[in-house]
Amino acid sequence: MNNDSPLKAFFVVLVTAMVCSSLVSATVVMLRPIQLNNQMLDRSRNVMKLTGLVEEGVTPGDEEMLDLFRDMDMRIVDIDQAEFNNELDPLSFDQRRAASNPDLGVDVPSDQDLSSLGRRSRFATVYIVLREGKLERLILPVRGAGMWSMIYGYIALESDLNTIAAVTFYEQNETPGIGDQIMRPEWLAQWQGRRIYDEVGDLRFAVSHAKVEPGTSTWLYEVDALTGATVTADAVTSMIRYWFGSHGYRPFLDFLREHGYGRP
Amino acid sequence: MSHFIDMFFRAVFLENLALAYFLGMCTFLAVSKKVKTTIGLGIAVIVVEAISVPVNNVLYNFVLRDGALAWAGLGYLDFSYLGLLTQIAVIAAMIQVLEMVLNRFFPVLYNTLGIFLPLLTVNCAILGASLFMVQRDLGFVDSVAYGLGAGVGWAMAIVLLAGLREKMKYSDIPAGLEGIGIAFFTTGLISLAFMGIAGLSF
Amino acid sequence: MTSKETFLKPLLRENPVTLHVLGICSALAITNSLTSSLIMSASLTSVLVMTNVTISLIRKHLPSSVRLIVQITIIASAVAIIDQFLTAYLPDAAKTLRVYIALIVTNCIVLGRAEACAMKHGVGTSFLDALGNGLGFSIILIIVSVIRELFGNGSLMGHRILELAHEGGWYEPNAMLLLPPSAFFIIGFIVWVIRSWKPEQNEEAEFKPAPLPDSEKR
Repeated sequence: MNNDSPLKAFFVVLVTAMVCSSLVSATVVMLRPIQLNNQMLDRSRNVMKLTGLVEEGVTPGDEEMLDLFRDMDMRIVDIDQAEFNNELDPLSFDQRRAASNPDLGVDVPSDQDLSSLGRRSRFATVYIVLREGKLERLILPVRGAGMWSMIYGYIALESDLNTIAAVTFYEQNETPGIGDQIMRPEWLAQWQGRRIYDEVGDLRFAVSHAKVEPGTSTWLYEVDALTGATVTADAVTSMIRYWFGSHGYRPFLDFLREHGYGRP
Repeated sequence: MSHFIDMFFRAVFLENLALAYFLGMCTFLAVSKKVKTTIGLGIAVIVVEAISVPVNNVLYNFVLRDGALAWAGLGYLDFSYLGLLTQIAVIAAMIQVLEMVLNRFFPVLYNTLGIFLPLLTVNCAILGASLFMVQRDLGFVDSVAYGLGAGVGWAMAIVLLAGLREKMKYSDIPAGLEGIGIAFFTTGLISLAFMGIAGLSF
Repeated sequence: MTSKETFLKPLLRENPVTLHVLGICSALAITNSLTSSLIMSASLTSVLVMTNVTISLIRKHLPSSVRLIVQITIIASAVAIIDQFLTAYLPDAAKTLRVYIALIVTNCIVLGRAEACAMKHGVGTSFLDALGNGLGFSIILIIVSVIRELFGNGSLMGHRILELAHEGGWYEPNAMLLLPPSAFFIIGFIVWVIRSWKPEQNEEAEFKPAPLPDSEKR
């Protein structure tokens, strides 16, 4: 066939399109199980860091990790109704996908939207670490707009549902060397023992703009500033303020405090 | 409205595709040293980005992403892996259409832009804006603001650099640095300057 | 041109980055980590080889009207496949690098070599040319990232090499090397060094200062 004929051009394009899409699709289908497994492992690892079940510095093997993971209580929380949801499957529930889903997600009104979320899932996957049948730690997912894009993290609360046991930010795109200091273990270690609400019940937690001195009144509720990273630091503060405010987990935490934790 | 302006200014200054992410620099560094031609290139980029980012946004949110085809009853399909192919196809197609429209209705502009228009198909900045839009999961209005802002920011950056390079034509630069060497240094310095704006909030 | 020459030329004498200023822009932002640069280099080289070989195979049947679009489609598919492999086997790295891997589609080296070499030569030559160019790009990327990570962070591929001052050591890290503009400066220096060593690569200055007339000379 003559190279200049339009028929040949059409034919070549068609064949290229078909071959290329088949190859790409085949690769995707072939690799999807591995990718999903990775996501699962990733999630397990992030949560596991906060449970207190694994020693500092010890990295459990993948198998061990997945086992520990399945042994914790993983529940779905209906954020607005402030109660557990027992219909959705916590293992497979994808919070990010749910946010854009018309039924599972909800718009965040701009006056409430401290963290520029736009939309959020109505449900959250939370993790409960038990000791002798009682709730020892509650791990909640949090996210908020950082300087460049969404920051995703988990925060673990002690049994009083106020003191922070641990925190981790597992996904962020902040400025390297500046904003990404939120990943530094020394800084994250400070969060342990800080409180979110004060005695009166006001939401006091914040990332300070200066160094926090022990003994001052704010020491219980603030962590040190991040050098040169005010935007990212404020983003973290807004994130905590949103998720632990009355439009976030607060009603659910009040519910838990009142009724205690019962397994399904 | 203020959110739109906020997003626009962030795209222009804080997340400048040329100065913060260095996208689209190769074509620029190798091709133009004159402010006039650079302005033409800049305008072309603004137009293409302002259109391609929202179009890709619609395509991503209604056809490609996980569960996007729910409106057609096919909510279980996830075509997000075809995102790259479709984005580049959309951009290439749009540039082709733009060329034809300009040739027919604005021949003067078409002649000024000359070779730059088809070259834009492989400009990292254009694809980059769409990719960042997907990564940050912007809404439609946000993507319009972002596309416009990204284009304006990029155009502004390269016109700035072209102006500097024009002035530097008369400088006595060491032989090894002549041309791209000094261009790299200058770009680095301007990028550093723009990072100072990063702390501003609007 | 012998095969060896085809392969070796792009490494130094005609390095796509330092001589032709091709393809470096999108990769610079990630050069603050050696691991990212290695992954990026491997990805670009793979895409380059895959696409050049494919295009070289079908070059005799590509009508000129659809040449560009077919090339881009092939490149985009190769990148999509590499992206899927990365997400599957190197998920942590893939998270940071996804956008930059995707930008390989518009990387000037890939399309440039497709046009300049794959469209005109057989599979063997195209393969070697692609490999050579990929490695030329990789060398520059690796040099930049070694400098940036080692002196900016005291580590290489995540392993601590220099003890940082704020962790009780002696090395005060150069914070500027962690910022993106430093990559540009480093490349500027590399270009300077290469061109001082091989002056034939120098660009002509557009204006040379006119010599002073004798009466003005001191």
